[in-house]
Amino acid sequence: MNVDRRTFLRGAACAPLALSLGRGGAWLPGGDERCLLVLELVGGNDGLNTVIPVDDADYARLRPKLGAVRRGARALGDGTSLHPSLARLHGHIAAGRGAVVHGVGYAPPDRSHFRSRDIWHVGDPAHQQVGATTTGWLGRAAEQLVAAAGGAGNGLPAAAIGGLEVPLLLHSRRVPVPSLVRVEDFQWLSPGARGPIAADAPSRHVVGAGGAGELLAAVRAAQTAGVELADGLTAALQRYTPKADYPDDDLGRHLQLIARLLVAGVGTRLLHTSFGGFDTHARQLPTHAGLLRQLDAGLGALLDDLAGHGCLDRVGVLVHSEFGRRAAENASQGSDHGAAGPVFVFGGGVQGGTFGQKPDLSRLVDGDVPPTCDFRRVYAELLGRLGVPVEPVLGEGFEPIGLW
Amino acid sequence: MNPLAPYEPSARDPFDLRKCGHLLRRAGFGASLPERQRLVREGLAAALQHVAPPLAEVPAADALLNEAIAFGSIERVRAFRVWLALQNTHPLRERLSYFWHGHFATSNSKVQDPRAMALMMATFDRLGTGRFDELLTAMLRDPALLRWLDNDVNTSKQPNENLAREVFELFALGRGNYSERDIKEAARALTGWHVRDGQFFRAGYLHDDGDKEVLGVRGKLDGDDVAAIAAARPESARFLAERWLRFFVHPQPERDEIDALAGAYEQHGRDVGATLRVLLGSRLFFSARAYRSKIKSPADFVIGSVRLIGGRAQPTALVAAMATLGETWLEPPSVEGWHGELAWLSPAAWLLRSNFVADLLAGRRGKLAPRAAELLRGYTRPDHLARAASLFCCDGDLSADASERLLEVARAAQGDRAATVLHAATCLPEYQLL
Repeated sequence: MNVDRRTFLRGAACAPLALSLGRGGAWLPGGDERCLLVLELVGGNDGLNTVIPVDDADYARLRPKLGAVRRGARALGDGTSLHPSLARLHGHIAAGRGAVVHGVGYAPPDRSHFRSRDIWHVGDPAHQQVGATTTGWLGRAAEQLVAAAGGAGNGLPAAAIGGLEVPLLLHSRRVPVPSLVRVEDFQWLSPGARGPIAADAPSRHVVGAGGAGELLAAVRAAQTAGVELADGLTAALQRYTPKADYPDDDLGRHLQLIARLLVAGVGTRLLHTSFGGFDTHARQLPTHAGLLRQLDAGLGALLDDLAGHGCLDRVGVLVHSEFGRRAAENASQGSDHGAAGPVFVFGGGVQGGTFGQKPDLSRLVDGDVPPTCDFRRVYAELLGRLGVPVEPVLGEGFEPIGLW
Repeated sequence: MNPLAPYEPSARDPFDLRKCGHLLRRAGFGASLPERQRLVREGLAAALQHVAPPLAEVPAADALLNEAIAFGSIERVRAFRVWLALQNTHPLRERLSYFWHGHFATSNSKVQDPRAMALMMATFDRLGTGRFDELLTAMLRDPALLRWLDNDVNTSKQPNENLAREVFELFALGRGNYSERDIKEAARALTGWHVRDGQFFRAGYLHDDGDKEVLGVRGKLDGDDVAAIAAARPESARFLAERWLRFFVHPQPERDEIDALAGAYEQHGRDVGATLRVLLGSRLFFSARAYRSKIKSPADFVIGSVRLIGGRAQPTALVAAMATLGETWLEPPSVEGWHGELAWLSPAAWLLRSNFVADLLAGRRGKLAPRAAELLRGYTRPDHLARAASLFCCDGDLSADASERLLEVARAAQGDRAATVLHAATCLPEYQLL
């Protein structure tokens, strides 16, 4: 059967097996557990204009117009500099709370956004067809966390923040993963009286109802988990007061919701959110600078907020994109789909600075910076930090980089 | 056996409320119970005629389109589109325009031109039930699409491949049916296909008029040629057939089904409307495999619930409700459109759907007139209430377990019992399926 992942059942995340939600507020207290946020820059962030190889003689030649970002860029100490929009994140790196890993990707590169995102999400460049049973690397990590907890108790080990779709990387065959947009949305409302449906309301009879079949079972699992979520989340989130000012945009709101979940310690340990618009084929400079400014403000606030609550030490943040962009700028003052790019890792205890081989623009492969670090090595590093065994999630042979 | 053999109702396999509901949900945006009951009485042929009447008989909404455009806001255009779907005067056309919007997924977030977006949707209304090559040709000249995929900076000196790649990958052929070289050549053919003053503009001085070779066809090709060449490929028939089967029938079509529909498409002169009429009248379409095999999209859920329950809903309020559920028309998340199916139904999204119906029934947020309880007025016995809610919301087709639980709700409900029971019926898993 020819399966196209674009419209395929993506519901492995809601699959019915072993729906092991605790009853009656059995949320893990959290508190000392390590957590991971994956912040995905969607569209193919221009790595060479984010972590800029300012010392590379070929940079100016390849990017006569886009190279203007060098002015005001902040040095990272290895001949590369951070885009001028990223002042706050540069501060976190300089203070030893953030790392840059150069040249992360996979070979050979795939220049389709969709295919390359799938590869990053599944965690396997050889994986061909995404289908109903395809799982994502973070979804598999969630399975490991639930298994380690004895398969019970934790209401919400993983969550997708900011959209209603659960992205592929959080798909699991065994753990239901919700998506969240605003905390206020998560009461289960009654059609009669104002306010939520009471714990003893007759409508509760329909929770878990319905006929046989895989699809109905998946819907039923989503319903059961949704009601569970509504009942438990609101109370848990009361425990948070912000310690940083978040920007008034979608990314800022999503990151603040993430902070609320992390600070409240609802037991949610794996999170994903995405931030789009990085497909800068034309007139890139102002667009890209604006996007990075938003990223800097939002992520900077999150890191400060978590630090203010004393929980940055247990949080790791990975910032990546599905690919970098071609080394040479295009003729539309933009850049086209490329291959490897830098990733950022933030968090307490991380070794600050830059890791891996910085891009060498005299040694391009097919016009691209080739990958010098397999993306799964970064994943392995993060899984190790979480205490999740690497092999069941990624397979064998991915040496950590030594960020911690 | 040919999966597209016509479905012939019989005493053993009648055209009933279940099949009628299925047809109206898949080839439109659903319908009220009295309308469904009327079509069951009139029979399959009348129901098929109802979902796909001759276009000439459908009154045009040009005045409202122009008004939406004159207003200059994308919200107004969205509301107009939701209004059209709510009216559902030509269910299949409304449905197909929704399909094509997901197919040629273009977002105003980049286009930034409500007029161009409105006109693109109007092009789907006008050409979406006709021949695909004509639609593709029109789309490659569509100002919104040209801007969305950067073709307004594609010039002979500086070719940009974005549009050419998506023509092959997402619009006409699918991955594996073209080469990187075809993309480069098609990009050259599309040079100079620009937008000026909001109109398609063929910038001859920016067009590469040299020889090209696209998918084995050589010549001084231009954008119209790219559309014609791509649409004429046999792979295109199978590509579109698979898309239609996924959209109208089942998310996982089988090879023989794809082959059969691609064959019907060729037989019917590559006419989309004629092909889909064959599909909608087929045994496959009415099979148990197709029934309730898909998840309602937010549009299906929101617009369908209003068409089912009634009430004077403001289109702008419905636009907002759909956005909360993850679907903002004229702003798909990417050029690949919406993922659909179970991706729509995370636990949180389920909760929001349930809350939408609760608000709709209660007439809350000042956006929806409370009328719902009237629907079940006259039903007082719990078993009658539960049965009526099942007919309204779930084609009267529920498992024993679901029926029993709905009955428990009806027995225990207090206050506005009708609203409570209807809400409970829309919370059942069956109601989430299309």
